Order: sequence, then C-alpha cells, then structure tokens
Amino acid sequence: MKRAWLGCLLLGSLLFAAPQDSDNNVNARYVVETVIVSGKGWTANLQSETTDKISTSLLHQLTAIIGQKLNPASLDTLAQNLKRELSASEVTHRIVRGETPEQVRVEFEVRPARATLGMNVNQFLYDSREGFNGSGEATVTLQQHVFALGLVSNGDWLPERFSGLVARYEDKHVGTDRLSFKFEAESFHAQWNRATVAAMSENPADVPALYRARQAFQPTATVVLAKPLTLTLGARIERFVEEGPAGQIETANAVITDLHFHQSTEGPGSQQDFDADCSLHMATRALNSNYVYSARTAGVRYQFRSGKHIVTDNAWGGFITGLAPLSDRFVLGNSEYLRGWNKYEIDPLGGNRALSNSVEYHYGPFQAFYDAGAIWDAGEPIVVRHSVGLGLRESVFSLAVAIPMRSGRVEPIFMMGILP
Amino acid sequence: MPEPSRGLQISRRGWLFASLVAPLFPARAADSLIVTFDDNNLHISSLGLHFLQGKSLSRLKDGSTVEYVATVGLFRDQFVTQLKRPAEYHFFVSYDIWGTGDVFAVSTPGPPARRATNLSLSGAETWCLERVVVATVGIARDQQFWLRLELRTVPPKLSSVLGETGIHVNVIEVLTPGQDERQTFTSGPLRLEDLIRTPRKGRAG
Repeated sequence: MKRAWLGCLLLGSLLFAAPQDSDNNVNARYVVETVIVSGKGWTANLQSETTDKISTSLLHQLTAIIGQKLNPASLDTLAQNLKRELSASEVTHRIVRGETPEQVRVEFEVRPARATLGMNVNQFLYDSREGFNGSGEATVTLQQHVFALGLVSNGDWLPERFSGLVARYEDKHVGTDRLSFKFEAESFHAQWNRATVAAMSENPADVPALYRARQAFQPTATVVLAKPLTLTLGARIERFVEEGPAGQIETANAVITDLHFHQSTEGPGSQQDFDADCSLHMATRALNSNYVYSARTAGVRYQFRSGKHIVTDNAWGGFITGLAPLSDRFVLGNSEYLRGWNKYEIDPLGGNRALSNSVEYHYGPFQAFYDAGAIWDAGEPIVVRHSVGLGLRESVFSLAVAIPMRSGRVEPIFMMGILP
Repeated sequence: MPEPSRGLQISRRGWLFASLVAPLFPARAADSLIVTFDDNNLHISSLGLHFLQGKSLSRLKDGSTVEYVATVGLFRDQFVTQLKRPAEYHFFVSYDIWGTGDVFAVSTPGPPARRATNLSLSGAETWCLERVVVATVGIARDQQFWLRLELRTVPPKLSSVLGETGIHVNVIEVLTPGQDERQTFTSGPLRLEDLIRTPRKGRAG
C-alpha cells in the first residue's frame, strides 16, 4: 500500500506541475501562424505541408500549436521531442514575426548529431501480484547506427519470469530510407511459477518442456513497401537449456515475417490513428529446429482523439499449430491483455489460441478500460473472460486498478509504473 | 644601475603569458558599481551597468524567456568574510517580437509578482536593478564593507526524460550541461556614511 501512495504522489506531482513560462513571456499573447522545421537539406512548413522525417505523433504535437496562443514552455518540450526522435545534437527554436500582425512563426532548426549516448528505461512496472518488472538499456547512436545493451527482468509477458541481457544493433538507413536492418541477441534465465510446474506435471506429453535458460539471435530487415505499409523479414534462432541435470539443448529456429500498416488522419479538432499488423513465425526441420510449429498473429488498433478525449480499441488474436516452446505461447492476464486476471489461473502454460479486445477511454490523465479475451488450446472449450479498470495516466506513467469480472469474489489488481 | 623605465617594460613573452593566464581569473572582469543609500537600504545604480547582452540577448531576440538571478553579497573584507547572507533576486526577461523597436518585458516571480512591458534594453536593466535592495540592519554607519553583485542566467532546462516509449536520459547532455552566463560587479570599501543619499525607495525583504 505504501508503494501505491508513493505512486499516487509521483503521478500527482506530474499532473499538477505546470510550466509557468507562458506567464513570463510577453509573446504568449500572440497566435502561432505556422511551425517550420528545418534540418540538413530539408525544410517543412507544417501549415501547408508534411514531412516523412518526423513521426505522425510528433507531427500532431507540432501542428497542434498552430492557431493557438503561443506557449514558449511547450516549444522547449517540442524541441526536446524532436531532438530525441531525430537523434539530433541540438534543436533550437526561434519565434519570428508572422505575415499577419500579432501572429508569429515558430522555427525549429535541427542539427544532426554524429554520436549520442543514452540510458533508457523502457518498462518499470509494479504489479501487486507479479511484483516488479523492468527493462533498461544503454544506447550509443552513431548517425543511423544504433548499438544497445540492456538488462531485463520480466514476469509479465510470458508464462515464465525471464531475466538477463539483451543486445541490439540497428541500421536505420541501409542505402535508402526505405530499408533498415536490426540484429538482436538475448540471453535469459527462466524462473517458473508453481502453477506452471504443477500444470506441466499433469500434462507432460501435450506441452513443451520447461527450460532454465534460453538464448536467441534475431536478424531482421524492414522494407517500406509503400508508405505506410512495411514488411519485416528475418529469422529467429533460439536455443533452450532444458531443466534437469542433463540440461538437454533444444532449438527453435524460425523464419519471421511481419506486415505492418499505420495510417493517421486528421480532421478539424480530431485525429484518428489506425494500425494493423499480421505476423508469421514458422519453425521447420529445414532450419534444423527441434520445435516444429507456426505461429500466426493479427491485430488492429484504432484510436480517436478529440481534445482531451481519447478512445482506443485494440483487438488481437493468434493461433499456433505444431509444438511451440513455452516462450512463444500466448499469454492473457498481464499488464496489457485481459488486465486484472491472473495468467497462472487462466492458463499457467499459456495457450496456442488467443483472442483479445480492449476498449480504453481517456479524459486527460483519467482512464477507464474494458478488456475481454479468451485463451485456450486447440480442442478445448473457449471461455471468454472480462475485466474492467480505472486509473490515471500521464505521459508514460500509469497507475491503474483492474478488476476481473467473475462471480464470487472480487480480487482487484493494482498496477503502477512506466508503461510505454 | 638599471634604468627606471626598464622596470615598466613588458616583454613579448610577458604579454603572451599574461594573455594565457588572464582567462583563468574570473574576477578580472569585475566592474565597479555605484551604490546608493536611502537610510534603510542599499540600492545599486544601473548607470554604466549592462547585463542584457551576449548569448542571452540572442536567446531573448529568438523569443525565449531568459531567467536572470541577481545575488548581492556584503563582505567585511575584500570578498572573503561575509557580513550578511547573500540575497537572491529572480527576473524573467522576454523580448517583444511585435514590439515597436527593441522592447522588452520583465517580471519577478513574487510574491507579489511584478511585471513591466514596453521597456527599452536599458529600461529593462534599470527595472531589474531597482528591485535589488539590501537592508542595512546591523551595519554601523562608519563600518567598512565591500559589496558584490553577481548576475547570472539560468541555462535552458535539460531535455525532459519522459518519452513515448519510456524514460530516456541523454548522457552527453547530462555530462555537458548548458553554461550559464555570469557577470560580477563589485564595489568597496564602502561606508554607509559616505554613500550617496537617495530618497527612500522601498524595503528589503
């Protein structure tokens, strides 16, 4: 409970800490006529044109100030966001007179960086049932090349709690902006919940073996087929050191394909984002894999924003044929899918069929959600479960209480932390 | 016997050494101040004192707000032993993009918050310095003291660590933070009874 109060205080301080710069800057009375962003060899006047150099969400933030009273403090935030996204050495901003009296133009100038060194905390979550989960990494960026080394301890995403090291190399521009390359390496130690071990002993023949460690290498290339459609192709070479004194090695070597579509449309005072994704992981004997399976997943996400209102629907489903390792089986009842339910109670070994839908409504920092989903193995009856929740969210900080809807008892789950 | 004028000559090597060593002494640039007294408080005259300049002035003309911090210290001796705890004053300066000519706005955070607009560059400087008031309680009229005024800018804030995908810290930025601009002005030795008397303007906090 102490942690809950600590989280409330932290989030509260973020919610109510407002910048005061607009009170101190005489130009806050003027209206922003346009925003101009320029870099090495490119310029975009965001009132009349768009640019593919900047992500849709950041473009939305930049264009949102056009037509509004100038808030100088927000310009610092936008410059920082540009700097981070474009890995720039510096982003400066200046305000100049607009073409109409009492209106100003905001100009951002992006200076590219040769190298940056960063420390990232990508996830830090406290769940009243699973305890702490976290991942962080140190990154070195040299122009379009990114090198990263990180630590992970996660008991949320998979049937196991996995802890260990991740390393990544990424080239965001392989000859052209349309092609990027990524190589990821992972080495994890696995810990198993008692419920998983018990379920394993009840069905030893139907499910893959428990392992105490796993290592994976994953080279992938992503090509922009036709904006905003991208295709990722690659391979995942994974080895498992099984539990037991012999420590037998099993392999799961798969080809990976992933098709992703993202579109953002803006109307007067509103924005709609649509994401669709489908993927296929196929492990075969031809790739010298002990596990032979194929995993297909598909998901769509729709978001509508208008002022402080945000409505999101996230639907996702997948099925596995063949025998996949436990780390590739689906899990519901975590911080993302079917929140509030206990994954070990629903399916301690994960499932090879899953469907999930989540509807979220945000008003400013307040959020409410309704999750529904089912997880099962082929041939088993499908049981649909529901949960509801309330919480606060500011930037990446989230504080939520999720309640599984079932007859009998009420066991809310409290979640707090950094959730991208 | 050496010629008297010989001792005043500085060799080329001497000039070179002096030019290399000079930047190591920040006090070298300490300009003198005109300090006045109104029977209760010390005031600093803005005559000949200009601090809206350099990179900060460029930042202002680019539309940013620049925060200045004025720190006034009184010393018993030549800037070693403090006579009174230094007092700090904060000012927010901005440049009016649509102003007629070069006009500035200045405000203090308060309480009570104060604000002035349509000021010229020297008018803005004067407005700030008029708010720098040092109470003389506990200082005898014939007591010698030294006064030091330090004006520095607050460098732009470091990047926010919050992003859409987590917390990010730019290590290079943390290790090499933005430099503040500092200007130091001094005066002394002073005695209250020797200072120019001005009509009572206000009270020091």
